[in-house]
Amino acid sequence: MKLDPRTKLFMILVVSLIVMMSATTPFLWAIRLSITLIPIVLLILEKKYASALRFLLAYSTALVLTFFFLSAESEGIVASLLIGYCGIVVQFMPALITAWYVVRTTKIGEFMSCMQKMHIPDGIAVSLAVVMRFFPTIKEEYSSINDAMRMRGVMLGGGNVLKMVEFRMIPLLFSCVNIGEELSAAAITRGLGGEVKRSSVVELKLGIADYILMTFLAAATVIFVVFKYFL
Amino acid sequence: MSIIELENINFQYKGSRDGSLRDVNIKIEEGQTVLLCGASGSGKTSIIRLINGLIPHYYSGELEGEVTVDGHDIKKTELHELAGTVGTVFQNPRSQFFSVDTDGEIVFGPENIGLEPKEIKARMNDVVAEMNLEEILGRSIFDLSGGQKQRIACASVAALLPKIILLDEPSSNLDFDSIELLRGIITEWKRQGKTIIISEHRLWYLKDAVDHVFYIENGQIAKEWSGEEFTSLNEDEVKSYKLRPIVLEEELIRQIRGDCESSVCEIKDAIELQNFYFSYKKKPYLLLKKRFKESDGDLLNLNISELRIPKGKVIGLVGPNGTGKSTFLRCLCGLERDCKGRIVSDGVTYKGRQRLKLCYMVMQDVNHQLFTDSVRSEVMLSMKEDDEERCDELLKMLGLTEHKDTHPMALSGGQKQRVAIASALASDAHVLLFDEPTSGLDYSHMEKVAELLQRLASSGASVIVSTHDPELISECCDYVLGLNHGKVVYLKENRKER
Repeated sequence: MKLDPRTKLFMILVVSLIVMMSATTPFLWAIRLSITLIPIVLLILEKKYASALRFLLAYSTALVLTFFFLSAESEGIVASLLIGYCGIVVQFMPALITAWYVVRTTKIGEFMSCMQKMHIPDGIAVSLAVVMRFFPTIKEEYSSINDAMRMRGVMLGGGNVLKMVEFRMIPLLFSCVNIGEELSAAAITRGLGGEVKRSSVVELKLGIADYILMTFLAAATVIFVVFKYFL
Repeated sequence: MSIIELENINFQYKGSRDGSLRDVNIKIEEGQTVLLCGASGSGKTSIIRLINGLIPHYYSGELEGEVTVDGHDIKKTELHELAGTVGTVFQNPRSQFFSVDTDGEIVFGPENIGLEPKEIKARMNDVVAEMNLEEILGRSIFDLSGGQKQRIACASVAALLPKIILLDEPSSNLDFDSIELLRGIITEWKRQGKTIIISEHRLWYLKDAVDHVFYIENGQIAKEWSGEEFTSLNEDEVKSYKLRPIVLEEELIRQIRGDCESSVCEIKDAIELQNFYFSYKKKPYLLLKKRFKESDGDLLNLNISELRIPKGKVIGLVGPNGTGKSTFLRCLCGLERDCKGRIVSDGVTYKGRQRLKLCYMVMQDVNHQLFTDSVRSEVMLSMKEDDEERCDELLKMLGLTEHKDTHPMALSGGQKQRVAIASALASDAHVLLFDEPTSGLDYSHMEKVAELLQRLASSGASVIVSTHDPELISECCDYVLGLNHGKVVYLKENRKER
């Protein structure tokens, strides 16, 4: 299924909003869970079964733990670690997985065209596009560095946590800076940054799926807010 | 009037002496194809950057003299104004793409200058047809081979219909067949009457295309040839300029393409590889991963049941792009955990992670494997027990003693490579693997690497080098190992030049 980038952006907004406002009643939890299911369903439609499954497992484990094994009275180091883990997974993972889905399925061209339709200035649109483009690059660089670390047997930094981070970050930063510099030189020679208004080949059109999803998201937000704050 | 004029150019980068220019005067007529050759750091790239305006607008430094390109005074012209006039294909395909998908990349330039979508689509169709890109449309940049990336880069430049096209070492990361395709693209541009300027170390693929050649040395134009003069230079003259050969021998071409008769020669003193099977198309069972077998046949990206690698020799690993050379190296040194191959050396069997201790790979981008803040600690990091003496010995052997306390990232590319080699030796690895160590190197740097590989081998290590570089093979490889579709086609002795 192909969604319009505008729908996707709206989805990120709604998912993060609803997930961040704490649900207090079972009904609010129901809304929150159904919103969380959307990115999972979308991932399955995109045939990304492994990521969908992994996310589903992590999320449901965290939920089960929070509801049945942890409470405000939990004590001890294990419980506090678990609370931390579950809190992060339940609060942030849904937004994260939605963002990941959007980055993976949106082409830069579509994104730029979407930004233009929403009358976002070129400068902001280009910067955001570069960020999107950089995710896969960082991933690629990071995995090469990881390989090198395994080869040299310094995965654990000789038991030193600081070194472990340093060994990963320093080469990563160096190569990202280099790639970034070459990348912008290449983009500028092809006319990026001129005064001319950019045009776009991609023609965006909202389809039925977009309208249904947007309506659903908007309705969910309204109901959530009304039930949480006004009733 | 000439389309490109550089008059009395003096240039120096801010904070660096490398690549500075002195008294450069160049005139290029419309429709000419011009080659810039010379050692790394001699200033070729700086000249390219002067013509596309990146100097002085992006890379700053002290610039004297006049640069005029198609009537524009470069100093006073904004970079984006040049977009429709000058197009540049850069050396590294990895860092010149703005989009993540191929289609988006081709239309990126025309979109920037605000053309009508209809016009852009028409241009895109033209370019795609011209360069036969149908099969790689709609793909992610990250799934393309180096050669395919470079073709997309050419297409994205051509879509702006520039009069002048600059190529900065475009063949560095390409195999033989991709270079042939690149040659085709350049010939087509020449036929269309474009002015083409190429900075390049590999010369053989350009010999019929060039009209004029500038030889650059220490930032000065040391020599000029016309196209005919250049092609008629004999071997010794080419060598005396420290250039790579202009003519490639048939034998070498066949070798580098992995296009030789299938045969594996007998090796006496050897390291044995057994059961090296691997596939990227994972076929996992529900919970466990499938163990690959020889009978998986075409599914496998690497399929070697047995191979004897000569000890103490340099072995050149050849074959076209995407044929499994890198996969072979990665499996051999144990980076691919799903490959369950075994290595037998001196009667000891190394499996799984033990392979990581026996082998050491010097990666193509050595930046990824340098972690610490000084050359000395980089070497120490590889040692099981710190041994100052051995460290000094290694640094001396690799000519790094004076850089002992320098930060590895402050070194030049070649020096970084030697630091990586030093740490490989410090880890007591018996099998040293090199992934394209000479891509993008000029002749004299390539010679140095060749000499070093020889020295490593004579100290007892097996050195396996994956390469597209015919000169490197003829300089230093004792054996040539040809791969095709993950299988060993041949392993044979190589007659070296010296």
